[in-house]
Parts: sequence; C-alpha cells; structure tokens
Amino acid sequence: MKRLRTLLWLEHRRSWVWAVSLLGSLAFWAWGIKQVHAMDVGERLGIRAGILAMAAGIGAVVLCLMIGRIRAETRHGQYQVLLLTPPTGYTHIAARYLYAAAVGFAYFITIGFLYWWIMALAGIHLDPTTLVELILAVPLYGISVTVLPAMAWTLLLMVFISAYRISGPGWIPGTVMVLGTPFAFRWLVEGIVRVSYTLPGWRLFANAPAALIERFGSPDPGVTMQVNEVMYNGVPLEPLLIMLALTAAFLVIAGRIWQEVEG
Amino acid sequence: MTQAFLTVVRVLLVALVAFWAYRLWTGTTSWTSRGVGMFFSAALAWQIVGGTL
Repeated sequence: MKRLRTLLWLEHRRSWVWAVSLLGSLAFWAWGIKQVHAMDVGERLGIRAGILAMAAGIGAVVLCLMIGRIRAETRHGQYQVLLLTPPTGYTHIAARYLYAAAVGFAYFITIGFLYWWIMALAGIHLDPTTLVELILAVPLYGISVTVLPAMAWTLLLMVFISAYRISGPGWIPGTVMVLGTPFAFRWLVEGIVRVSYTLPGWRLFANAPAALIERFGSPDPGVTMQVNEVMYNGVPLEPLLIMLALTAAFLVIAGRIWQEVEG
Repeated sequence: MTQAFLTVVRVLLVALVAFWAYRLWTGTTSWTSRGVGMFFSAALAWQIVGGTL
C-alpha cells in the first residue's frame, strides 16, 4: 500500500500539469456555454448540451494521451530509477491508471454539474433524485462503458509496444494491435448486443419527463409512448459489467507484461 | 480476373501478417506479449481470410 501511495505521488508529480489543464479547460467550456445566445430556449439548450458532449469527447482523448505517455517516459529513462525496485509491474500500472481514472471521474462529474447548470439556465427544475442521477449515475455509467476501457486499452498498447523496444522498432506491435482492435471490438459489440437486457435494466431519470413537460408542455402522444418505453426499460447493465471486466483484464495483462519485461 | 486479383492480395496480406506474427513471437521474451501479439495477428488474419478486409 505504501508503495502504491509513493507511485501515486510520483504520478501526480509527473501528470499534474495535464490534470490541472484538463480540469481547468472546463472553465473555458463554461464560458463557451454562456456565449450561446440563440433565441429559442430549446435550441439554446441543444447547442449547450452539444458543447458539453464535445468537451466530454475531447476530455476522453486527452485522458488517453495522458496515460499513453508511459511509453515515451520509459524510453526517456524516467522509470530507470524505479525498475528493479520492490513495486511490482501491477503496482506501476495500478498507480498510473488510478491517477488518470481519478482525474477522469472529477472531469466527467463536473460535466454532469454543467449539464445541471444548462438545464437550470433553460428553466428546467430537476428533483433531487434526477439531479443525483445526472451528476453521479450518468457520468459513472458513461465513463465505465467508454473512457475507462479506452484508457486501459491505451495503457496496454503502450506497454505492449514497450515490450519490443530492445528487439526493434515499435511499429509492428503498434500496427498489429491498432489494426486488429476494430475487428475484436466488433465481435465484442455483437456479443454485448446479444446479451443486453438479460439482466433487469437500470432505470434512470424516471422523474425527468415531468420536469420537461412542466417546462416545455406535453409532447404528442407518440413521443410520450416512446419516452415511457425507454424509461421503463432503463439502461442495460451488461455493457457496464462487460466493459469493466474488460478494463480489469487489460490492466492485468499490462501489469503482467511489465512484470515479465521489466521485473 | 477480379476474384483472382483479390485472392492474390489476400495471400500477400496473410503473408505480411504472418511475418508480423513471427516478429512479435521472436522479438520478446515475454509470453504475455507473445499472446497479445498472436491474438491480434489472428484477428487480422481471420478478417483477411474471411473477406471483410
């Protein structure tokens, strides 16, 4: 545990500029949201929601770049002092990943707050349950299904390439993994779609339609029926569980490679 | 003609992936890296032979 804490501190020393820049960029996005002056309130809300979705996408890419610097750092000798020291490869990987994941959680939960803010600006008043779902449940679900596996994949890619740095150029392992991943990902998505809703769905935003109707009035009955069906089914739990298991598998494999190559 | 051309392209691509797999197998002493390399090489080869690449 002490070794992990030491590595987390080192990770902070190494990556705090990235973390502060990423979290600070949310101030820029908030400023951008305030610059939207479309007349129609629905249009304004849509544009602002789009800006936040763009912030989420860019944030995910930045997090992957942040965690992917491990290869360059290994090549430049930043880990030389630490190699052959007591912390195992798994601890190195865990520290690297935990720091980036913590920054990611902070970033996406703040984006959840910003979504609440743009809704408040649009005059939509959410009840406490919906508010907690918007600020905590949705970011946690979203990050677990997309950003956490993407970061673990990036980490595995970099550690995998690093395993070949003595024998030759890293482009062969990098090319094979990058080209092979879309096909493996397609099989994964097909599998996830096949098993989705085997477990009961996770019902979110049960009270949100009432708040929207209060603000914008009743939509036509067809839309209401569709919304009710989506609300009744909820979001599937299987993608969450499968992607978290995949994330853990990527991290264990990356730790094992580190252990075999550097240990 | 087109079918024969595609077959030649596929054979060449499989040969390239096989060469990469050989380099990935011999380029490290890490068995886990070899496993990862073989998995992704096999995924590529499967797609080439299966005709979606």
